[in-house]
Amino acid sequence: MKHISPNQVAGETAVKMPTRRALAKQHTRAKVLAAARRLFSESGYEGATIRDIAAEAGMSTGAVFANFTDKSDLFREIMGADMASLAEAMHEAAGRGRGVEDVLLKMFTAGYAFYKGQLPLARAAFSVSWAPQDGPVLRNAPQVGSLLDLITEQLTLGVQRGELSQEAEIKLRSQMLFDAYLSNYPQAIFEGWSLDALQARSRDQIRILLAGARRG
Amino acid sequence: MSTELNGPRRVVARNPRRPARPAQVATSSPRQTQKAATRNRVIEAARELFDTQGYQGTTIREIASHAGVSVGSVFTTFASKGEILSQVMEGRLEGFYAELDRLAPHLRGSTADRLRSIYAIFFAVEAPRTRLFLSHIAAAFDWTLTSTARPYGRNERVRALLLETLVKGREAGDVDPEADLAGIVELLIAVYGWTYHMVVTEGADTQRMTETMDRQIGLIADGFRPR
Repeated sequence: MKHISPNQVAGETAVKMPTRRALAKQHTRAKVLAAARRLFSESGYEGATIRDIAAEAGMSTGAVFANFTDKSDLFREIMGADMASLAEAMHEAAGRGRGVEDVLLKMFTAGYAFYKGQLPLARAAFSVSWAPQDGPVLRNAPQVGSLLDLITEQLTLGVQRGELSQEAEIKLRSQMLFDAYLSNYPQAIFEGWSLDALQARSRDQIRILLAGARRG
Repeated sequence: MSTELNGPRRVVARNPRRPARPAQVATSSPRQTQKAATRNRVIEAARELFDTQGYQGTTIREIASHAGVSVGSVFTTFASKGEILSQVMEGRLEGFYAELDRLAPHLRGSTADRLRSIYAIFFAVEAPRTRLFLSHIAAAFDWTLTSTARPYGRNERVRALLLETLVKGREAGDVDPEADLAGIVELLIAVYGWTYHMVVTEGADTQRMTETMDRQIGLIADGFRPR
């Protein structure tokens, strides 16, 4: 179901020689995305309608639909952009770590820090990710795959350095580390856990998950 | 049970074995009996709709219509959709606990094997309505959730059983005395819940999830085996 919308093409080609029309279109898209981000954070994915989003952006629903196929498309665009920034932040954090455990902890802490200021949006994303209709699209998004790849990369490096055993079952272990990282968000969202508390829990999880792989 | 496991979608969720609440029977006025009946019908209808349409995909209006009651009477019994789900999930615990109590004394083998057996029971209990369990997790993040609702991951009985299994393993010399048992319990609970993502991403069935959980437990157990 992947396709590049004519709008995106217009947006990209406009980088070199932006026509007034293309600029206006970009501006509209940005306005809709900002409004959608606010409403998804306020009322959740289900609670925010295209009509509300259009009103918030100060335009007609028709203008919204000219830029996005539906609400799910809008949400995906927002999450996709965020996750790309998140992957960058994690990659940067990984560079500051020493050893697999430390690197993973720094990456995950960067993730919690990234979402600390926008937990309502994270909450909406988790809600969508478990839904039978919209969940698969969000979970199979390439950006989610890149986050998982970052973890796999670090485990692979750990094996290459001899820090982890050759039989580290990297694929399953990476997935479990990613799941463990995600599983702490409810504590952040509902119980107001501090960054320190999240980091402590995450460290325990990483230690337990790496322990078996440390024995050659 | 096996037909439920294999069927792609359950047809109708009626449970004649589900007893009325004794406390309500003892003091029942006609009005209370009526209220209990409405309550049961709403829960039955909601169980079926949450399973087939998901939590977000189901409205209170649909639940009311499916149960053959008015929207108003749903709201006199339940504060929100989240609370209805909470009651539906609570209702399944009876059978779940009975199954655990029946099998717990028969758990054998290594600590990892015991944990695998426990989780095999969890998956078997949810098997007839895997999507209902997804609703359960999704609802934890939903805006309509009230403070009375019990989202996934708060079951103290499950937590206690897992800890007990690990403590026994430590006593038997099967678990490293240095291992962080409380941390392992939290991790197991998290890993189990997140295993259900396989239903969303690849439409995995109970068997596939149970196999994956077995491997995940093995991977955790590699870390807590005595050195």
